[in-house]
Amino acid sequence: MRAIGTANYAYVVARVRHRRSALFGEEEYRKLLRMGPGGIARFMEDTEYGAEITDLGARYDGVDLIEYALNANIAKHFDDLLRWSNGRLYDLVARYLRKFDAWNAKTVLRGIYSEATEEEIRADLIDAGEFDETFLDSLVAADSIEAVTDLLADTTIGHGIEDAYAEYEETELLVPLENAIDRAYYERLAGETLHGGRAIELYEQFLEAEIDFRNMRNALRIERSGADIDPAEYFIEGGSLFDAGEIRSLAGNRDELLARIRESRYGEDLSEAIDDLESAESLIDFEHALDGAIVSYADYLSHVYPLSVCPVLAYVVAKEREVNNIRAIARGLEAGLEREQIEAELVTL
Amino acid sequence: MIGTLTNLGLIAQAEAAAIPPSAAAALAVGLAALGAGIAESSIGAASMGAIAEDESLFGTGLIFTVLPETLVILALVTIFLV
Repeated sequence: MRAIGTANYAYVVARVRHRRSALFGEEEYRKLLRMGPGGIARFMEDTEYGAEITDLGARYDGVDLIEYALNANIAKHFDDLLRWSNGRLYDLVARYLRKFDAWNAKTVLRGIYSEATEEEIRADLIDAGEFDETFLDSLVAADSIEAVTDLLADTTIGHGIEDAYAEYEETELLVPLENAIDRAYYERLAGETLHGGRAIELYEQFLEAEIDFRNMRNALRIERSGADIDPAEYFIEGGSLFDAGEIRSLAGNRDELLARIRESRYGEDLSEAIDDLESAESLIDFEHALDGAIVSYADYLSHVYPLSVCPVLAYVVAKEREVNNIRAIARGLEAGLEREQIEAELVTL
Repeated sequence: MIGTLTNLGLIAQAEAAAIPPSAAAALAVGLAALGAGIAESSIGAASMGAIAEDESLFGTGLIFTVLPETLVILALVTIFLV
């Protein structure tokens, strides 16, 4: 934890902007789509990801190599962000990057649940959050789900995990645990009130939007699957669009839910996607539209408030998107999907 | 009361100005330099960031960093005016 000194926005923003502009564009994605998995690894060797590909090249090959290189690269970049920032900026970035703590915790749980080896689990972790390496190692070394929940209980994402464990024991399903972790992360994020200028307000608004989108996604998925699940159980507090009671009634009624989204402040950005969803019934496109909307909203903020945490956030979101895109291309090619199908999976802006 | 005040005013007028012209000019240059320093601090930090990412930006960074320095050079003119 290093929150000393004054926030050095100028330095961090200059570096982050440079890296943001070095991310892959449509041109690169099109090139990647034309290659096989081996080709992608070779192509990546000449880019940003070169160091990771060379490092891991001896141990893995094919799509696994790409996957691990992506994880290592994203961890390196986000660690850099924390290394550079001071003071307030460090606080703001660190609390956002706890997202990866949540990700790692969930990966460990899934790994232990599916009886993967320690080495396999460790390779899938993204070392970018607040958990340090020793703590991650101790998580991976834990021999049961209970041991993991005990370790997590004292961390920032541990709120409510013990109740979830009780539920896990009854149902033998990981869902309650994963849910508790997500909830603890987002609710902590939205729960702390920050004081500061307009840029901080917008940062909070951005987080609200992320929570709202997640709630939307959950509600639509529950509605789509037709499963008998109480949507309020998956509801994350802190958004501005719904509250727990509303989501229960809206999840049962898709037209009303869509109308609600259309009227909200996200309506304009999402209207095309909502039209598609109404006509084509494809939830995947809608979810991609949500991802795209988050990226463009973050970019908008970073242009309006250049010397604030917003450009850093925009970079984090865009980088994640790039990694997801490359992974989708590699996995898609491996599975032998058509190029058009993979293209539809990409979120480009 | 008013009489004393007028008297004091007259005395003050008779004395020399509170700050002699050359000192005022020096102050002007000093303040301008301070302003330039403040401006340069964040530009310098930003250019260091940019150079760390891409060394070819060294020239551009240097130029932008010393740009506020022109302010001090302009302020230097006041020295020759007094």
